[in-house]
Amino acid sequence: MLRLFATVKKELLILLRDRSGLAILFLMPMALVTIMALIQDAPFRDYQELRIPVLVINHDKGNLGKKIIDGLTNSKVFQVTLFTESEIEAKKKVAKSDYEIGISIPEDASEQLNLRIQKFVTITLNEVGIVDTRVKEQTQSTKDTTISVYFAPNIKKSFRNSVLSSIKQVSSKLETQSMLDNFKKALNQDDDSTQNTNQAIDDFINFKEEAVIENQYAILELNSVQHNVPAWTMFGMFFIVITLSGSIIKEREDGSYLRIKTMPGSYFTVMAGKIVTFLFVCLTQCFLMLLVGIYLLPHLGLPQLIIGTSKAAIALVAISSGLAATGYGVLVGTLFSTHQQSSTFGAVSVVILAALGGIWVPVYVMPEAVKFLAEFSPLFWGLSAFQNIFLSHGDVLSVQIYIYKLLLFFGFCIGISYIINEVRQ
Amino acid sequence: MLNHEAIQVSQLIKKYKDSSTPAVNDISFTIKPGTIWGLLGPNGAGKTTVISILCGLLKKTSGDVSIYGLNYQENREEIKQLIGVVPQDIAIYPTLTAYENLKYIGNMYGLKGQELKERISHCLSTFELDHVSNKRIESFSGGMKRRINLIAGILNKPKILFLDEPTIGVDVQSRNIIIEYLNKLNSEGATIIYTSHLMEEAENLCSYISIIDHGKIISDGSPTELLRQHSSSNLEQLFLKLTGRKLRD
Repeated sequence: MLRLFATVKKELLILLRDRSGLAILFLMPMALVTIMALIQDAPFRDYQELRIPVLVINHDKGNLGKKIIDGLTNSKVFQVTLFTESEIEAKKKVAKSDYEIGISIPEDASEQLNLRIQKFVTITLNEVGIVDTRVKEQTQSTKDTTISVYFAPNIKKSFRNSVLSSIKQVSSKLETQSMLDNFKKALNQDDDSTQNTNQAIDDFINFKEEAVIENQYAILELNSVQHNVPAWTMFGMFFIVITLSGSIIKEREDGSYLRIKTMPGSYFTVMAGKIVTFLFVCLTQCFLMLLVGIYLLPHLGLPQLIIGTSKAAIALVAISSGLAATGYGVLVGTLFSTHQQSSTFGAVSVVILAALGGIWVPVYVMPEAVKFLAEFSPLFWGLSAFQNIFLSHGDVLSVQIYIYKLLLFFGFCIGISYIINEVRQ
Repeated sequence: MLNHEAIQVSQLIKKYKDSSTPAVNDISFTIKPGTIWGLLGPNGAGKTTVISILCGLLKKTSGDVSIYGLNYQENREEIKQLIGVVPQDIAIYPTLTAYENLKYIGNMYGLKGQELKERISHCLSTFELDHVSNKRIESFSGGMKRRINLIAGILNKPKILFLDEPTIGVDVQSRNIIIEYLNKLNSEGATIIYTSHLMEEAENLCSYISIIDHGKIISDGSPTELLRQHSSSNLEQLFLKLTGRKLRD
């Protein structure tokens, strides 16, 4: 135990006296999480909180245009701006991405919709043996009502489809309502009942969003802070690979490791000293990153980090992630013979593992092949565990699989390092 | 343990994977306790390989090595307590102070508390480094670094001390204090295994010398015996006679 304490103390002293190393270990991840949370705040809000800016040109002389605008506004998905200039000018604005969507309603939209519906009502009533004489003469000349929708060039197909679907939902409701009104008129009912019809349509089918996990807490939506703080905490932890592997290689280069090998104490004692030290660094990093999420980011206009309810689960995930990171650092430091090799490989490999692990982009938006590869990234395991605790109020049991995977990864790295070390002798 | 030879090597062979010829080729020798044994040879002769095997840094391909009757396969930790190593490189942490370095090394040998403090203080004072004990090694001169490197090897009072060019690049004063201390340590019973390219220093310090070339010991004996056997006036002349004048690297 004395040897372990001595090694830990030695490693800590060396770390504390390396100011640039300390900056890499602590300041860089904290700066990174702050910057990334700020940068990604807008994209996260785009899809979840912000209203989509829509430019609407309404040439319609009837009620349809007005009702579409009301429908879009009331849907709480769109931020409607009325545009009075030409459609060409509107398209230019959308092309420049000033607005993400443009909608142009033609001047005879209401009239044409009305004619189409009257024709439909007449045919339907005729089929059931009821003849509506008032609209019979108007059913001869109708055409489709076409509302033009155009998107900014950078809008993705899935997003276009969801927007078109929202617009269709609004127009469909108007069509149905108009159709019912015409049926009523045809059946000689008075117009006062229209309001009741509208209410009835709204209440036919209700959707209620429910949690997929049964507990008393509400499941949080993934926002920039909830994604970036655990993501960059994992990245920061794994970035110690550069410092740790560098420390191992430096000892080998300057002969200190040779001296260590001639002194009492096994390979595991010496490595345990390094692992404990860098695990402490990882846990400190993690703690600081959580503090940034809870206390600093809200001051920058971002949401506060919610860390769930199980502190024990957070501690266990942090410890197992820290061990996985230090194990990887020991492996890289053992594999390579120069600091240049280890720092290049260490940095690039952590970036790749981070990309696969969903640090930049959540894994669920990745292609299937990449999703499969993500399953092998320790950063993905750690991030998934943190998000489970933070977003779904997960506990130790709900993240135990990730903890086992991280600990296995640690054991694998140390085992391989030991074998390499033995073979080299 | 007292009944055993300090070091006994029998038919030692070491072959590296990427080499067609063995670095150490079937050598045998015995070093009695209290000997200052000089292992001399040109670059690439096999000195470092032999010393590394004796220190437990390298595994042998075949043969037997015993340190006071113990072997590395079964008694690695016991042997480590018996030996001290002073490598050619300054194997000390530059950002730690002299005291912090020595405390760490002492702790690794199981020394602690007052005993360790006194030992560090004694060693620093012997090598006239007590006034810089709280200064970082990176601020030390070359000679001071050599001295602290030596202290790190003797802190555990080893029975066998391995020295790889301990006085390389130091001034006359530092060399003098190192050589004086090694003689004192030897007079107290320590066995010293020494390699160097400084023939004059080896001739004066060592009580027994082995000259190694191409992985084989080509001559050994006390310095006086060797000079007489090969009719040479000094060790350098003898060395050139035995190993030739051709450059090796």
